[in-house]
Amino acid sequence: MNDYKTTVGIEVHCELKTNAKMFSDSLNNYGGVANVNINEIDFALPGTLPTINQYGVELGIKVALVLNCEINKKVVFDRKNYFYPDLPKGYQITQARNPIGVNGYVEIEVDGQKKKIGIHDIHLEEDTCKSTHADTKSYLDFNRNGVPLLEIVSEPDMNSPEEAMAYLEKLKELLLYANVSDCKMEEGSMRCDVNVSVSKTNQLGTRTETKNIGSISSVGRAISSEAIRQIQELEQGNVIHDETRRYDEKQDRTILMRVKETGNDYRYFPEPDLPSYIITDNDIEKVKETLEVMPDKRRAFYLEKGISSVNSDKLIQNKQLSDFLLGLEDIDLVIASNLLLGDISSYLNKTEKKITETSLTKDKLREVTTMLSTGEITNKVFKDIVVDLMGTNLSIKEIIEKKGIKTISDENALLEIVTKVIEANPESVKDYHEGKDRAIKYLMGQIMKETKGQANAAIVSRLLQEELNK
Amino acid sequence: MNNLKLSIKEIHSRLVNKEITPLDLVEECYEKIEENSILNSFITVNKVEATEYAKELSKQEVEKDNLLWGIPIAIKDNISTKGIRTTCASRMLENYIPIYDATVIEKIKEQKMIIIGKTNMDEFAMGSTSRTSYFGSPKNPVDPTKITGGSSGGSAACVAGGLVPLALGTDTGGSIRQPASYTGIVGMKPTYGRVSRYGLIAFGSSLDQIGPMTRNVYENALLLNTLVGRDKKDLTSADKEIEDFTRLIGQEVKGMKIAIPKYFVSDIVSPIIIEKLNRVVEILEANGNTVEYIDMKYLDQAVTLYQIIAMGEASSNLARFDGVKFGYRSENSSSVEEMYENTRGEGFGKEVKRRIMVGSYLLSGDNAKTYYDKALMIRNAMKQEFDKVFKEYDFILGPTTTTVAYPLDENLDDPTKSFMDDVLVIPVNMAGLPGMSIPMGKDQDNMPIGLHIIGNRFEEAKMYQLAYDLEKKLK
Repeated sequence: MNDYKTTVGIEVHCELKTNAKMFSDSLNNYGGVANVNINEIDFALPGTLPTINQYGVELGIKVALVLNCEINKKVVFDRKNYFYPDLPKGYQITQARNPIGVNGYVEIEVDGQKKKIGIHDIHLEEDTCKSTHADTKSYLDFNRNGVPLLEIVSEPDMNSPEEAMAYLEKLKELLLYANVSDCKMEEGSMRCDVNVSVSKTNQLGTRTETKNIGSISSVGRAISSEAIRQIQELEQGNVIHDETRRYDEKQDRTILMRVKETGNDYRYFPEPDLPSYIITDNDIEKVKETLEVMPDKRRAFYLEKGISSVNSDKLIQNKQLSDFLLGLEDIDLVIASNLLLGDISSYLNKTEKKITETSLTKDKLREVTTMLSTGEITNKVFKDIVVDLMGTNLSIKEIIEKKGIKTISDENALLEIVTKVIEANPESVKDYHEGKDRAIKYLMGQIMKETKGQANAAIVSRLLQEELNK
Repeated sequence: MNNLKLSIKEIHSRLVNKEITPLDLVEECYEKIEENSILNSFITVNKVEATEYAKELSKQEVEKDNLLWGIPIAIKDNISTKGIRTTCASRMLENYIPIYDATVIEKIKEQKMIIIGKTNMDEFAMGSTSRTSYFGSPKNPVDPTKITGGSSGGSAACVAGGLVPLALGTDTGGSIRQPASYTGIVGMKPTYGRVSRYGLIAFGSSLDQIGPMTRNVYENALLLNTLVGRDKKDLTSADKEIEDFTRLIGQEVKGMKIAIPKYFVSDIVSPIIIEKLNRVVEILEANGNTVEYIDMKYLDQAVTLYQIIAMGEASSNLARFDGVKFGYRSENSSSVEEMYENTRGEGFGKEVKRRIMVGSYLLSGDNAKTYYDKALMIRNAMKQEFDKVFKEYDFILGPTTTTVAYPLDENLDDPTKSFMDDVLVIPVNMAGLPGMSIPMGKDQDNMPIGLHIIGNRFEEAKMYQLAYDLEKKLK
């Protein structure tokens, strides 16, 4: 069974974060009370016409840039015609013939192996109503109807569940950093349809499409179970049909929804209500200027600055923290990242706040990081002041004063304590002279204990070395 | 009470002089409509609201600079009017009351014109005789045994019959000009994009235009003044400076170059119509204009192109009538699919269903390439052909129709025949050009004959200049 190769292609729909809908000016905001963000255009009342949300197009361009696509400078929309109750016009406005971006790629890494996953195209379209079924009735929420969607169609370049998951993680990361979508799979702002096929030869096997999988890890499981199912079918001498399936979490298997009929006919034609237009290089440049530093660049920078790879990943995953470090590139990022991922994160979790909602400013983070790196304060002091630092507008000095925390920088006083500790710990002194690093840390700890953590660590460290080497 | 026979200028001066009030005009309209109920020109009369509004206006000061103040107008029933039933002459929308006004309706209301009612038409504007209306055919005021033409048949009939001085029509493939010709009035289809389509219930989106239908050329230009302008709700509307379309009216037309495509005077056209056109040519030449007969490519392809493009677009435009949200819904269906089938089967008339089916077929699978894409290419070539002519000539002239209005019971059995009624006017929609029909005489049975004036893009003012000049000289 191992000689089968699995091939995976993924279609991702993500909802774009715009104020208004893609083709009308009602609000892009659903999830609350049903059918409030709706106007005559969304309702497809006779005589209404669509308009183009330019910001939606800009976000399309942004994603095209981030996914290394060639940008189609002629913006054209088409109609995709089919009947379904959640589709009020009887057609969806999409980009069938001239997608906004083509021929892109995303680079993933699995088990240390880098791989480029091709992006066939990305295109702009509109979401449908949300249907709810109860008893014999169905209900439609038009708030979702017309929400801008970007469909990202990958090439069938993935060959394992791990690659598919890595692709989706990477895609999500890029879209979040491009600030185009919330990418919440559980809320449906990012949706995945997965095409899977297996084959023993270089020729691709017949694929099936598994729709609307609820999370990235489910995508991995769905691919595994679907590949196994296909291999079992083939081994039993059966053939795979071009069909649409869904993934059942509990049973961990895919279930047939419908067999695709030959030549699904959407009767595409150019949308006559939306004249095509050209985007200029200048337009693209303007969008480029709005792009933030992308995660790969940030990750590389963090590693270069000595942040561990685990912490680098944690920062990237928590964009608000990573963003907070922008402009603070000159400080000790190891210390700053430890603060952000440690006591500051705990504070944010406890208070359920975003970092931008606290009193912590970039200047204060810079100041406190510098104080720590010079030993002016210790980690213990930081722990004592973090709540005030985050929750009040007091300066760091004011907080320290208010808390009655003193830092002992008086060299004579400190020398006294250093000498006392050295005398009390001859074993450690011996260890130190035998080259055991641990010893100096232990001695430092003892001194800090003596001073209740208030000693200036930099001075203590210098004095201690001097005394030991006498 | 015979105010409605007067010109808009005369009515206006009576209003200004307080000899009459808008209420007098409105009451006269409804009397005339009742007297002429045989014409069946209205689907819905807006009597209660219009009377109410006229009373209100009658208390107000007349806007002296606004010739259209308090003037009654009829609206074709495929233009969305807030609070007034808008049926598209279809069972599908028999009880549909819009919650919003089309952009042209907003503009009309700004001028304080009074909407008298919604006029009869071919169902969803699909037809050239107005006989596909769910509410029965309107009848030609000149001879009520004859068709009005279509699809704006009701608008043509109520203006020609003197029931209302002004009306709005819509024109996808001749639907303003052809009925104007059949009933002896003036109808203008403006340049595509000149008038916002927002609120016009779409048939062929890339062809549809709203335009004025009036008793004379001047009033036509006057009404067009209020309709035009870029509308941010319609991205196909053109960004043009506001202009006064009456500004060239009264200037004599001299030294202009006029083309008549030979196809427009070929044997498809009745001899009596050619005769009248020749009279126009004589007048023009006598006034120092040049008239030349030219060859133009693609004109004979226009009907075929129209069928492909308009029906293709229509099949998609009419998909929203599915019984889910508004309009007719068939009861007693056991599944969504069945509900769709029954609703559309029962709600649409024969001609509409025929066009939806043909349009769907034309866009299906490979057909889209074979037919639709190819039609767009030829359409583009046709546009260029017109552009070429307009580099050399000021106008293109011809007859509006090949025959005069025929009896209501004629040509009912051949669905392709009615397209041929529009053979001379369709090319204008294909090229997005402005075209208008003005009366140029009558046949032996007193049936009106129309002259078709085609201008270059956005040159409506110049067309009105020619039309007014001819209107005067043909009297």
